[in-house]
Amino acid sequence: MYELFFRNFTKKVPLTQEEEALIKTYLTPKKLRKKQYLLQEGDVCKNIAFIEAGALKAYSVDDTGNEHIIQFGIEGWIISDLYSFLTGEPATYNIDAIEDAELILISKSAHEELLLKIPKYETYTRLNITGAYLAMQKRLTSIISSPLAERYANFTALYPDIVQRVPQHMIASYMGLTPETLSRVRRRISAK
Amino acid sequence: MKTKQTIAVIGATGNIGSAISKNLSKGNYRLLLKGSKQDELETLVKEIKTSNSAADVEAAVCPAEAGWEADIIILAVPFGAEKEVAKKIKEVANQKIVISISNPLNETYNGLVTAPDTSAAEELQKLLPNSKVIKAFNTTFAADFTTPVIDGKQADAFIAGNDEDALQIVTELVATAGFNPIVAGDLCVSRTLENMQLLLIQLGMKYNYNWLAGWKILHH
Repeated sequence: MYELFFRNFTKKVPLTQEEEALIKTYLTPKKLRKKQYLLQEGDVCKNIAFIEAGALKAYSVDDTGNEHIIQFGIEGWIISDLYSFLTGEPATYNIDAIEDAELILISKSAHEELLLKIPKYETYTRLNITGAYLAMQKRLTSIISSPLAERYANFTALYPDIVQRVPQHMIASYMGLTPETLSRVRRRISAK
Repeated sequence: MKTKQTIAVIGATGNIGSAISKNLSKGNYRLLLKGSKQDELETLVKEIKTSNSAADVEAAVCPAEAGWEADIIILAVPFGAEKEVAKKIKEVANQKIVISISNPLNETYNGLVTAPDTSAAEELQKLLPNSKVIKAFNTTFAADFTTPVIDGKQADAFIAGNDEDALQIVTELVATAGFNPIVAGDLCVSRTLENMQLLLIQLGMKYNYNWLAGWKILHH
């Protein structure tokens, strides 16, 4: 139930058995079925979700009802509306399951207690947030300045698992393209 | 809250369990029902879906599976059965709200089997140390769920627990079930709440309330 969570944790920061047992008491195991929401826009995001199994997506919906995917999440990743989680303001993202999922949730109060009680959890959190920041900077730079074909090539090289598992229209949404444009880009790449 | 919460009802085929399930199925909840008798469970699921086609309800395989999917777990089993169920759900109920509805009555209904310095809810909290145990629905009879307004007054339903967020969530849930929710205090107030129901049962038998009775605090 917590296997991957602690494998990932100890890869970043080694834990003693006692620390692992103590952290475990703060975690919420949760199963989500395909298409179910973890969070809907307008509610406050009360949890960070670590993905033990399955796949999820975080997205915003525009005035015309179109989904814009902000982030995918698969095994070993963390997904949440961090802005809402940290500020307590209503979430601007929706998060739902693309596949049946097993999650480890960390509630806001559990997160804060863990930060106070276990310095290694603070290190783990810092590493996670640093990683997320770097990924976001890369994504932003690529959206602003890279040609489409290069963006798609980079994405498939970085996340081959996601390309395999997620329908093309979702990848198009993540890249800010219509499905038609994405399939043109893919044809151009495969013709080379 | 817009995001649909999943509630596991363990003991859903009992009097109170089925009454709670029926009333909550009208709210923005997904219900996973588990009862010991599979045929009765399927009948209950069918009955709920027939009366409300929008109800999101299904029968669960086992308490642990239901509890794993759930955000909130309602233990609608007798006090004597709680120990065994708690063992089954302990791991999946970590950090989750677990609602204790039982009254630890003795066989002749003239006393409680718990010591005066504890309660069914506190005993459950000891069995599930990492869960947020909340006392609720113990002062309401099964019949009150179909008739929460008695003699023109909406029955009060008392809630006790130690976690603020959890109390808030259960307050909404109790209101959805049709009662007037009142947060009574910490989990140890369950001692009073469980004794209140003992008194109501005794009075009900003495004056023949026919199991349709409830508490109402009169105030200005």
